Amino acid sequence: MPIRYEGLTHIYQEGTPFSYLALDDVSLEIKEGAFTAIIGETGSGKTTLVQHLNALLLPSKGKLQVLDRLITADQKPKQLKSLRKQVGLVFQFPEYQLFEETILKDVCFGPKNFGATEEEARDMAVKMLKLVGLDESYLDQSPFELSGGQKRRVAIAGILAMDPQVLVLDEPTAGLDPQGAKEMMDLFVELNKTYHKTVLIVTHDMEHVLHSCDEVVVVAKGKIKKQCDVTTFFEDVELLKQLRIDPPAVIKMREALRERGFSLGKDMLSIEALAKAIQSEVQKHE
Amino acid sequence: MDKITVKDVSFSYDKERDALSHVSFQIKEGAYTTIIGHNGSGKSTIAKLLIGLMKADGGSIEVDRLPLNEENLYAIRDKIGIVFQNPDNQFIGATVADDIAFGLENHQIPTESMQGIIETYAKKVHMEAYLESEPTKLSGGQKQRVAIAGVLAMKPEILIFDEATSMLDPQGRSDINHLIQEIHENETMTIISITHDIEEVAMSDHVIVLDQGKVVMEGHPSEILLKEKELIDLHLDIPFSLKVAHALQKLGMPVKECTTMEGMVDEICRYAMKD
Repeated sequence: MPIRYEGLTHIYQEGTPFSYLALDDVSLEIKEGAFTAIIGETGSGKTTLVQHLNALLLPSKGKLQVLDRLITADQKPKQLKSLRKQVGLVFQFPEYQLFEETILKDVCFGPKNFGATEEEARDMAVKMLKLVGLDESYLDQSPFELSGGQKRRVAIAGILAMDPQVLVLDEPTAGLDPQGAKEMMDLFVELNKTYHKTVLIVTHDMEHVLHSCDEVVVVAKGKIKKQCDVTTFFEDVELLKQLRIDPPAVIKMREALRERGFSLGKDMLSIEALAKAIQSEVQKHE
Repeated sequence: MDKITVKDVSFSYDKERDALSHVSFQIKEGAYTTIIGHNGSGKSTIAKLLIGLMKADGGSIEVDRLPLNEENLYAIRDKIGIVFQNPDNQFIGATVADDIAFGLENHQIPTESMQGIIETYAKKVHMEAYLESEPTKLSGGQKQRVAIAGVLAMKPEILIFDEATSMLDPQGRSDINHLIQEIHENETMTIISITHDIEEVAMSDHVIVLDQGKVVMEGHPSEILLKEKELIDLHLDIPFSLKVAHALQKLGMPVKECTTMEGMVDEICRYAMKD
């Protein structure tokens, strides 16, 4: 079952002088099983959009269908707990939320809260820590002695241990080094392709969008500006400019060469494709 | 002339593993030096030692030929300004003007001359239109620019950026990178930037590469950034332009390797014209 926003509006501090319209009549469908990127400038409403997915925020107007649940403006959804088990939300800088004495205890917290036995929680925790790249030698260590990137892995394992069907990640690679960020993105691709989880990621990094995601949703000033597949999105250079998006390097180079007179198609989205197109251009002139 | 001399410095947080192990390097006066290395390589530890937040276990650090010790600590700190990673942790004023004024107040600058100084430095970071804005109304990149103005107003001889762009969105990152370039071109100060951004490294005069607390490579970015195998072994990124050069070479086009996008575009055009 897909995720469907219908006419959803969210106003922070409604009815006060500080009232702020963060989402404005948003209608949007997220495909089940897809890896979707939510992009847009700082303050555009991306985080507000995804925080509705496990009813952390409730709509001011409109409704939202998440799996078999309907979230509406006027009533608090029932069985919130099971929704939150199905939709795992990883906040920005999730490592700030680690709190247990050991890594094992921290990752077990979620599943135990959702009714798993000590043993089940442990099994799940061990499995998920392994998946994020931390072997059993880490189990009894304090999470606070790890590096920033490792802490973030523990925090993500904690969400994965609840075995959510939908995984929502808010800027999961911010502040990581390039290698750490790549490994993190590869993990999400694996969760999506191998474990068939629906993955939504809020990101500013267009390289990640190009190389890892299937679908793009562009949020601007609380509205959905564009929704399409990644390939179509990056072929539309005019749109990228208009949305003030910093394009991936391969597109920057393609456009720089086009300006210098190379006739390159707009479908050059990888270094290899770009190199081949340059080759055939050069040969044409021989 | 060397502005900073780090000689055989070691440091350990827990006495088990060295965060820095026998590190030596020099920073030239007026140069723009970048320090790279993956998370946990010891980059930020160097910044903390340079400003005397922690004391090295062994070796020596000299700033302007002054040995860094308790006696010289404040004289050396007066020479150094530092901009940290998290924009929210270093905004302390109620408005942009207040924030820039904070350091000036600590240095007992008379109030009547303060307004002029604030405006001058707000202009340098292109934030003059926001003097009365509150921090909640600013983006991360704007807050970092204000932090830089506050540091510049102290007229430091050395400016350190400790991953100052890693928490910013692409727009903010590119704004700050341009600003660092501007400062480097227009001011005389020595700049050290600890970064993950390989495109920023390509703009600097000198790069120091750290791994497991040791200096493993050092030199001009146009040489260092071409060492693809070494960089990948160190879990570092290589410039996009280099990847393109290699893809073209693989297809039998002997283009030269470049470390910047502009350079590579020129090189491809030159190669195409020659044929």
